[in-house]
Amino acid sequence: MEGLFFNVNGGYVEGIVRGYRNSLLTGQNYSNLTQCESIDDVKLQLGPSYGDFLATLPPNPSTSALAGKMTDKLVSEFRYLIAQSTGSTAKFLEYLTYGYMIDNIALLITGTLHERDTRELLERCHPLGWFETLPVLCVATNIEELYNSVLIETPLAPYFKGSLSHQDLDELNIEIVRNTLYKNYLEDFFNFVNTHPDFAGSPTQDVMSEILQFEADRRSINITLNSFGTELSKQERRKLYPEFGKLYPEGSLMLSRAEDVEGVALAVSAVADYKAFFDAVGLSQGGSGMGGMGGGPADGKSLEDLFYQKEMDMSKLVFTRQFTPAVVYGWMKLKEQEIRNVTWISECIAQNQKERIGNFISVF
Amino acid sequence: MAAAAASTYKDRQFLAVIGDEDSVTGLLLAGIGHVTDPPDAQRNFLVVDAKTENSEIERAFKSFTEERKDIAVVLINQHVAERIRHSVDTFTDPFPAVLEIPSKDHPYDPEKDSVLKRVRRLFGE
Amino acid sequence: MSGAVGREPVFPTRQSLGLMKAKLKGAEVGHSLLKRKSEALTKRFREITRRIDEAKQKMGRVMQIAAFSLAEVSYAVGGDIGYQIQESAKQARFRVRAKNENVSGVYLPQFESYTEEGVNDFGLTGLGKGGQQIQRCRETYARAVETLVELASLQTAFLILDEVIKVVNRRVNAMRMAESTNVYEASMLSFLEQRIPSNVCNLPYRIEQDLANTYQDINSELDELDREEFYRLKKVSNKKQRDNAAADAEILAARERAAEKAAQNGTPPVAESKEPEPETTDVLGEQEDNDVIF
Repeated sequence: MEGLFFNVNGGYVEGIVRGYRNSLLTGQNYSNLTQCESIDDVKLQLGPSYGDFLATLPPNPSTSALAGKMTDKLVSEFRYLIAQSTGSTAKFLEYLTYGYMIDNIALLITGTLHERDTRELLERCHPLGWFETLPVLCVATNIEELYNSVLIETPLAPYFKGSLSHQDLDELNIEIVRNTLYKNYLEDFFNFVNTHPDFAGSPTQDVMSEILQFEADRRSINITLNSFGTELSKQERRKLYPEFGKLYPEGSLMLSRAEDVEGVALAVSAVADYKAFFDAVGLSQGGSGMGGMGGGPADGKSLEDLFYQKEMDMSKLVFTRQFTPAVVYGWMKLKEQEIRNVTWISECIAQNQKERIGNFISVF
Repeated sequence: MAAAAASTYKDRQFLAVIGDEDSVTGLLLAGIGHVTDPPDAQRNFLVVDAKTENSEIERAFKSFTEERKDIAVVLINQHVAERIRHSVDTFTDPFPAVLEIPSKDHPYDPEKDSVLKRVRRLFGE
Repeated sequence: MSGAVGREPVFPTRQSLGLMKAKLKGAEVGHSLLKRKSEALTKRFREITRRIDEAKQKMGRVMQIAAFSLAEVSYAVGGDIGYQIQESAKQARFRVRAKNENVSGVYLPQFESYTEEGVNDFGLTGLGKGGQQIQRCRETYARAVETLVELASLQTAFLILDEVIKVVNRRVNAMRMAESTNVYEASMLSFLEQRIPSNVCNLPYRIEQDLANTYQDINSELDELDREEFYRLKKVSNKKQRDNAAADAEILAARERAAEKAAQNGTPPVAESKEPEPETTDVLGEQEDNDVIF
């Protein structure tokens, strides 16, 4: 049923994305990349997928320049998609950019708080989080003006309203602001895919719910783990947990009370996936396999690696569904991971740390 | 001379850094970053990129080495030091100690280090 | 002595000879003390330069590891945290304090790193993701900075010692004798000479040398005086001898005359005639003794 009319508006976009997906690097490409001796070799290997975008790079570019060009390609492809989409698909794609917008706004807030010239910050903003009125925010000279501009000019206004006042921007740590916004964003997005008439009961709802739930849980767990040993109180911490997801509400409650890693492990034990992750991290320290970005003393898979791995698997599975803009989400996540992977590989090559070069996540 | 030196270094407790973004970020993560109290909020670090003028580096180097009396060690990326080599080479006071450090994209080259050059010269190596 | 260019402006008297002897003794002791100080400092200096070399190599490695841990952070966070870090820096958590180390009376400052507790500018950075990597990166960098501080101490010590050794060696050089007596000293001196510009090396006043010269000069002048005195005494004694001989001859003549008279009477006193001879050998013997002293 849902397939009946989807292609009228969304078919082209979906087709394009599936084409993009095919240009993602495969395991074969990665194994070629890891054999490279210099960044120039890497550039050469990336030729088929990125050719025109890498052409302007100087010989032996820095890894950040390389990553920048790869991001440019992602951005231009995404812009093409968003330009081609209409209706609910366009709205869905817009939602995808909000996450980046939050980062950009957080950057501007930091700059304004420290009375820096925020115009210089514009080029540091993530291009996907760019919106037309972003430069307007730079006019603000103090935090109250900025707050008002954000409310008026940005699509993020609903995320500020009700949970953050302009005093909060001044007093709270920027990370708390960022995570509060992100929490509101995730909840709103979740609500959107579940209640929008075009998506309710469609594959989009199925697949996006699952992904967003995972994302929400991942954030809750990360925030909890990272807050140990900081001034973040348990009450404040609890406010940052998105109020949905597989852990919500019992798991979230337990998370908010957790005082150490064991507490977190206990809180997530109700969900088989997460329990498996914690077990793997707890037991396989210094252990096997790929994907271990762990570093540090116990080299192996870290929890974040496992989360990334899971995210990639989910994103890959999105492509088994049809008639849904969720494939764009999947493609974007895969592409971002790909950029991270390539950056990692070139970083390893540039810094001569080949022994860890295999610590990337490849799903194809 | 030792007695004179004592008064010049007892207040020195900070490190300063002049370098590319990655080096500065890393060293700030280690916790060396310090901003003096307003109104003249002075930072003890300078991020140098391709757009940074040599005169600005020069100014920061002078400020860290001559004007500020609370800095014990000045860390400077070797490739940045190259850009103001003359100032670095002519600065021979023991305080603050000027240390040339490698950066991510520019591995360390002992041949260019002003102190190591002196060491080598002394031993005729 | 050929090197009698410089000497103290004193009159060659016995008293100033004694004075010079005491001064020379003092200069020798001072020289050997300074030399020992210089040796101690030089030993330290060599050790420090060696350690600087090592530490610089180590720094290369440590910084590479640290830079890599930053790469891990950007992988985990999936973005650039540089700006945020720069803006959130407020209070230095990692600081150094200087303490002194005494090497042969020279105070070498040594930096010691410590962390200001309760300062945590980046506690919440990476709260949403990447927090653990950031934490690890901070530790890695903190360790790297410790290495850097260690190196900074060495480098400062190097610069101060370099200066101090120059001063001490200038003084040693000013005092030391022209010849260095043993091989070790020779090697050390040649090392010192490398470290000192040549114009400093040939200072016109080499205290010890001057004192020695003065001592020699006074001594030889005193000897000269002695010789003159002796010559005078010899002259006097010769004259006396001649007078004696004349007197003896007179006596002898008188005796002979008396003897003649006595011969006429019949008693000749022969033994008396050899008496002046042992007196002459005695005088000659003393002269030989004096010659030995010269």
